[in-house]
Amino acid sequence: METKLLEVRNLHTHFKTEDGVVPSVNGISFSVAKGETLAIVGESGCGKSVTSLSIMGLVAPPGQVVGGEILLEGQNLLALNKKELRKLRGNKLSMIFQEPMTSLNPVFTVGNQLGEVFRLHQNMDKQQARGRSIEMLETVGIPRADKVVDYFPHQLSGGMRQRVMIAIALACNPALLIADEPTTALDVTIQAQILELLKKLNDEYDTGVILITHDLGVVAEMADRVVVMYAGEVVEQANVFELFASPKHPYTKGLLGSLPKLDEQREELESIPGAVPNPLEMPGGCAFHPRCPLATEQCQSKKPSLVEVAPDHLARCLYA
Amino acid sequence: MRQYLLKSLLQIIPVLFLISIIVFVLVYCTGDPVSLMLSDTATDEDRRILIAALGLDQPLYIQYFTFIGHLFQGDFGNSFRYDMPALPIVMERLPATFELAIAAMLVATVISVPLGILSATKRNSFLDVLFSGSSVLGKAMPHFWLGIMLILLFAVELKALPVSGRGTLAHLILPAFTLGTGIAAEMTRLIRSSMLEILNQDYIRTARSKGLLESIVVYKHALRNSMIPVVTIMALQTSTLIGGTLITETIFSWPGMGQLIIQAVNTRDMAIVQAAVFVVAILVIFSNLLADILYRVLDPRIKYN
Repeated sequence: METKLLEVRNLHTHFKTEDGVVPSVNGISFSVAKGETLAIVGESGCGKSVTSLSIMGLVAPPGQVVGGEILLEGQNLLALNKKELRKLRGNKLSMIFQEPMTSLNPVFTVGNQLGEVFRLHQNMDKQQARGRSIEMLETVGIPRADKVVDYFPHQLSGGMRQRVMIAIALACNPALLIADEPTTALDVTIQAQILELLKKLNDEYDTGVILITHDLGVVAEMADRVVVMYAGEVVEQANVFELFASPKHPYTKGLLGSLPKLDEQREELESIPGAVPNPLEMPGGCAFHPRCPLATEQCQSKKPSLVEVAPDHLARCLYA
Repeated sequence: MRQYLLKSLLQIIPVLFLISIIVFVLVYCTGDPVSLMLSDTATDEDRRILIAALGLDQPLYIQYFTFIGHLFQGDFGNSFRYDMPALPIVMERLPATFELAIAAMLVATVISVPLGILSATKRNSFLDVLFSGSSVLGKAMPHFWLGIMLILLFAVELKALPVSGRGTLAHLILPAFTLGTGIAAEMTRLIRSSMLEILNQDYIRTARSKGLLESIVVYKHALRNSMIPVVTIMALQTSTLIGGTLITETIFSWPGMGQLIIQAVNTRDMAIVQAAVFVVAILVIFSNLLADILYRVLDPRIKYN
């Protein structure tokens, strides 16, 4: 890790509910280097999205970041006041969301919503912002950008809307881009285009990317390194080749095992039995033990810690 | 847009036709107009002459066609009380009523928009509870009570504002507040709930992720969206607003259409009542049309065809 762009240290984000405190993110640590793409993988509810919102400072109440550090180029985001954080957001630090269909404001034009970023962070006037918006729309591969700039979101398809979202996120050439399941809501062909676009922009601008997904195909395609999350914790972390070649945690093995394979004929896909535990009734010991095929008595009582099992390869399992 | 407007205007025609029937039947629902017009000393012969003069001896459908024919010329007959054509009397009162209604809507908007937004953005806070409670109170206070209380406090006790009548801006304040309070209460609740829903939308999160000031997120991105249902519902409340002017104008001796209607009903001056009902119906129709247009202006997703 030559230059660390982002370093998350022991992040805790909790949600206070009537039934108790839900530790959605429970002490996770990872880092992203400049120009690197880090994938965060896991099932729904494992804390992926909350992690990204925590970095953006956009966790909505009753959620709250209760501990840890988020260092962007050495600056602790959690120590910044609202104004300082706003200056970074949409500028050095930006985010693409899962739902392109609902992530744009229906009553303002594309140009208005994109130009807003230029006017805010680069002090452009309306005319300049419009010009830059058209350029940015062209950059993300939108045809007839000079027309589309005056369109309302409902006049665009999901794929086009996601391109607009990417244009908004990349407008100020951010150092870090968080893409939260950017292709989940799109058709497969559009997915490929969007991923290609992200990859191209990642290469061109040397932007650090955190890619949140549950699609391991996307991970293999895009990521340099992978963090696997389970129940609010990191259970495994390695570079992408290492992780696919020799997964150490039974959960990662399960995820990889549930992928269909080209050279095999099967009636049914493999799956991991059970479901993500209720965060209010977290099992003792290893959080994964009720679903783990290798679990022993020890797993029920002893909580494993995240240890290096191979060079630059961490896993949270007693038997890794 | 033009095509849409034309279509909407054409749709008004059958509605007006139905209203004309209702207005026509109105007279027969309130008893015998002849008895009312004649003095106690009138003879049966006087009575017969008056019936013939009013055309009341004709079959009902003939009477209706005569009525419609006059209606096309804007003629609702003469007012018994003023002995003048009824429609001009009603029209003469319209500006005063418009003045009051617009002032009341202004009062309502100025109160409800900030209160509704504050309630939503500071949900479940002390302010939210205070404003929600106040809006229940505001809605529960009847015009006749609130109007009299305002007169007692500001006109009689503090002598700060005139008791009644129309003329200066000072005359307008108490009636506008009387009429506007209930609407403000309704609008505050609407804006609060609409705003709460909008603030949870994905595009609000997007706006925040751009680093926009929270005030821009709320007043630009959220307010425009949350006003869409509010505007629609409020325009549909025009009839309630006009109903409110009847009482408010009577309390404050405001020389508008509402006061005229109450007097006309009390004296059974049917020509005036008929003309006024017709005018109110047209006002309601056009305010609904206006709501439709506003709705489309606010929400670009709505197409005109």
